[in-house]
Formats: sequence, C-alpha cells, structure tokens
Amino acid sequence: MHIPDGYLSPETCATFGAAMVPAWYTAGHRVRKIVKTRYVPLLALGSAYCFLVMMFNVPVPNGTTAHAVGGVLVAVLLGPWAAVIAVSTALLIQALFFGDGGVLAYAANCFNLALVMPVVGYAVYRLLARNVALTSPRRAFAAGVGGYIGLNAAAFCTAVEFGVQPDLFKDANGVPLYAPFHLSQTLPTMLAAHLLVAGVVEALLTVGVVAYLQRANLPVLRINHPDVEDDDGVVTQPRPAWRWAWIGMATMVILTPVGVLASGTAFGEDPPASAGFWHHALLEGYDFTGGKHPNVGYLTSALVGTLIIAATLLAGFKAVQLVRRNRQEAVRV
Amino acid sequence: MTATSSATPGWLLDAEVGLCPCGCIGRRRKGSYVTKTLNRAANVMHQAIFAEDTAAQPGLLQRLDPRVKVVTLFGLLVAVSLVRNVSMLLVAYFATLLLARASRLSVVFFVKRVWLFVPIFTGIVVLPATLNLITNGDIVVPLGTWFGHEVGLTSQGLTSAALIVTRVATSISLVVLLTLTTSWTRLLAALRSLFVPRMFILVLGMAYRYLFHLLSSVVDMYTARRARTVSDEGSVGSGRRFVAASAGALFGRTHALAEEVHMAMVSRGYTGDARALSAFRVQLLDIAWVIGVAAAAVLLIGIDRGF
Repeated sequence: MHIPDGYLSPETCATFGAAMVPAWYTAGHRVRKIVKTRYVPLLALGSAYCFLVMMFNVPVPNGTTAHAVGGVLVAVLLGPWAAVIAVSTALLIQALFFGDGGVLAYAANCFNLALVMPVVGYAVYRLLARNVALTSPRRAFAAGVGGYIGLNAAAFCTAVEFGVQPDLFKDANGVPLYAPFHLSQTLPTMLAAHLLVAGVVEALLTVGVVAYLQRANLPVLRINHPDVEDDDGVVTQPRPAWRWAWIGMATMVILTPVGVLASGTAFGEDPPASAGFWHHALLEGYDFTGGKHPNVGYLTSALVGTLIIAATLLAGFKAVQLVRRNRQEAVRV
Repeated sequence: MTATSSATPGWLLDAEVGLCPCGCIGRRRKGSYVTKTLNRAANVMHQAIFAEDTAAQPGLLQRLDPRVKVVTLFGLLVAVSLVRNVSMLLVAYFATLLLARASRLSVVFFVKRVWLFVPIFTGIVVLPATLNLITNGDIVVPLGTWFGHEVGLTSQGLTSAALIVTRVATSISLVVLLTLTTSWTRLLAALRSLFVPRMFILVLGMAYRYLFHLLSSVVDMYTARRARTVSDEGSVGSGRRFVAASAGALFGRTHALAEEVHMAMVSRGYTGDARALSAFRVQLLDIAWVIGVAAAAVLLIGIDRGF
C-alpha cells in the first residue's frame, strides 16, 4: 500500500504534509510526556521493530505468502502516539533506503499507514477490550479486529487519494496527469483486496502476536496497559454502567429530526375515543402552531420533552448523591 | 556485484544460490515463508552494505555537500512531478543516467535497480487505464466490441500511462541517486542541519543502527527454523503460529534492548538532549551544482509549459 512518487499530484502531497506536521508534533509531545528520557530508545527500537514486522512473510493457503503492516500491533504494544512516530520512522527508512514508497508521497503514506491505521485500529481495540483482563482471549481478538479495521481504513484512504486524482488533475485533452483510476474503480479494487486478503493477514498476525505475548511475555504487554488486571477481569477503575444509558439517550436526541421525515401518525398512539377526560396538554399533538408549522412544533416539543426528562433525571441523581454522601458521613461519624 | 573496487568483496554481496526463491538449481518451486523472509533480510543487508560502498566512491554526487544534495534532489522531484509531457520526463530520466555515470555508479545496475521492480509493477497497474472503459477519449487502437460498446486503447489513456511510468521511473532514479551516493550518517547529519527536529533525527539514527541488530535476531530465528525443518514447512496454521511467535519474541527482545540502551545512555550522561557535530562546508562545486539544478528545473518546467 506504499504509494510511490508519481501517483499523487504535488498539491496532494503538500496537503498531506500540512496535515501530518501537527500529528507528528502532538505524537512527539505526548510520548515524551509519558516516557520521559526513555522515549528516544523506545521509539527507535519500536521503529526498527516496525520495519522488521513489515518484512515478515505470513503464510496463507495456496502456498503463497503475504506481509502485514503491523501498525495496529505497535499501537497495542506501545500506544497509538508512539505508533504514529514508530511507523513514520520505519516508512522514512523504507522510502529513503529501499525505494519502498515515495519521498514526495511520504506524508500521504504516513497519513494512511502511520496515522489512520494505528489510531482507528487502536480505537476499535480499546472499544472491544474494555474491562477485559490482560490475559483474556477477548483482548487478543480485539487486537485482531483492530488490525483488520485499521488496515481497511488505511486502504480506504489510499483509494480515495488515488481516486480523486483523475478528476482534479487532467490536462486540456482529458489526459489524467497522475493516478488514472476514478473513485468508482479504486474503492472496489482496494477494498476487495484488503477486506478479503490483506486485512485477514493483518488480523491473524496481530492476534497471533498478542496471544503469544499473553502466554509468554506478559510484562511486555503491561507497557501500554499499566492499569489492567492480569487475570480476574476487573479493571482498577471501573467505569459507571450509566455511560451506555447516556450514550443511548444522546443518540436518540441527536436522531430526533429524523421524525420529521416520517409520514402519517404513530401507530397505536391515538387516545381511545371514550377517553375524554384530559384534553388540555401543553403541546397537544406535539404541536402548538395549530398545524401551520408542524416541523417547528415537532422539534420544539422534542426540545421541551428532552429538557424536562434531563432535568428530572438530574434532580434524581443529585438526590441519590446527597443521600449517599449523608449516609457515608454518618458511617464515618 | 558490480562494485568491483569496493571495500566489500564481491562474493559477500552475491545472493546465495541456496537462498534463491526461483530455484537456480533443480526445478522451480515457490519459496516458503521462511525462505522468503530470509531472502528479504539478506536483501536489506545487501542494499545497506552496497549503498555504503557506492557512497564512498569518488564521484560527482558523492563530493557534494549532503545538505545541498538533499535540497536540490527534493527540488528536482517536485519539478518532475510538475512536468506534464512524456518527452520532458524522458529528458529528465536520461539526465539521471548521466548523473549516475558521473557518480561512478554502474549504469546497467542503476537501470536494473530502477526498472526491475517498481515501474514494471506500475506498468501492470496502469495498463487497464489505457482502455476507453477507464479513460474516456479518442480511440486509437480499436480492440473490438464488448456488449455492443466499442472497446479500444485511447490516446488519452496511453499518454496517461506513459506519463505515470516515466514519472515514477524518474522519481525513483532521483531517490536512488541520493541514497547510493550519500552514506546514512551524512544523510542524517544533512537532515539534522535542515529542518527536521533533532529528536526525530536521533530516533531515526538509532532505529537504523538497531535495525540491523534486530535483523540478525530474525535471521537467527529463521535459520534455526530452517535447520530444524526436514521436508516441507508444515501446515499453513503452524507456519502462522511460528511467524506470530517469532514476531512476539522479537518484540520482547526489542523492549529489553530499548531498556538496556536507555540505561547505557543515562549512565553516559544523557539527559534527554542531543548534541551534534556538524562540520559541513559549502564549496564552489556545491554552488555550481545548485545553480545548475535550478536552471535545469526552470528549463524543464518552462519548456514543458511552452514558454
């Protein structure tokens, strides 16, 4: 997936250069803060490791071999920011010394393989391996899924970078000046190859290495997971279970405007014909404009309803907190 | 190989017959993952040693200040990427051949190194783009009809493919010129005195140094595996487990080595800051070179755009 020079226009390369500078700065700053003076040897050796992982041939059926990138693996082992720098360094050595990937296209390659891949893959890994013990098979599985999705995200970015070239850069006769394939061709080709083969190889290597380290070298896994328990599945700082409830509710609130698209009335929400005792609701029929501006009425009703529910929940939480605090103080006394 | 006057004897640079994946002796068969990894490792070593050898020869580009060389070759890369005519790209390509000759690189080797790998691969990739199915335009080579549509090679598609192949070849030639005529330490020093942050250079330099150290670990692991293999390499699953385990073990070694290197650095007074010795001096040749390259780039783009 290393883009050589000549496929991307210099404008595209400059854009990615501008995008990568803040990423490198942030990554360097973050890593330096976490590991202090140790970061130079750690990153240097991490980069060398990254280079070598890209060299490993992984056997696949039919007697052929493929090689993995290892961006997500390094992110799982050393953290996503260290991975940004380690993969970037490995890519620079490859570009300068082994002609693998272009020099002008270096920043674009870094964006795909050293930024998108580790960060996306690591996010997936964190999501799936939350509250899981360090030796749990689920953690290795999560790393594999992270590798699969991370590589495909990188392939997607590469395909988009290639695919926009013929539309943006062509001469008066319609000759594409750089990569000639359109998005409708690059996306299916790149994604098919990576979803079916390369992603699977990446996932297998990532799972294999994490599973091996779980069995054979647990201290090395602790570098990036200092707070995770080894085997009883309890994280030292349990997250409140309420988070998911909040996320679900927030999603529903964000999706409110979708209701405007629906036609007709909600099934089964009409009051029974005999129930004539309450006809004085504030926003009756989710509308106060008398049917003139139904969307405004609907959205206002949604806003008012959300605020009332939020206020009630907040009051409930505060009350529970107050009672709990009083009880703790009573115990202490 | 071709560097007969180099410090490294030629037989050491030759690829081993036993390691050849295409099977120079006996029937042709696919190399196993062990053989392929060993070959790639040997190739990395070979390229690094070879580059150090050619960088030590007294040629034109070797004599230039590395900072000047980095900046000018980068400028030439940009100029090449801006050129829109195949003929001008060909001119630029032949200029790189002349530079290779002036730098005492074997032209045959130089051409082989550039054309054997990436541009041919690039050619296969851009081949479909010559069809009118991908690149719309005037059909110059009709190939018949397909589902009632006329299919053929378009002049736009052919031009585009030629543009990409020549541009990729020229760009790679420029980068190869830089790497074959500049030793890694001088290249790092040049980057340091240009615009790259010092910490990044430090990481880069150490990464390159320990790359070979770790590479020998990999070679040991795989050679041991080969030595223990009697017939074929076993099932795909067991092979994958071996690769994963060797990558995992390698990470264990990497981390231990990083800790040791850090302690060694701290015990020698490392506080997180790096100092560098930079003793480059821009000479008359460098100034002439800069003027020449600038004129060449302006001419290249100027003629290309028809000024």
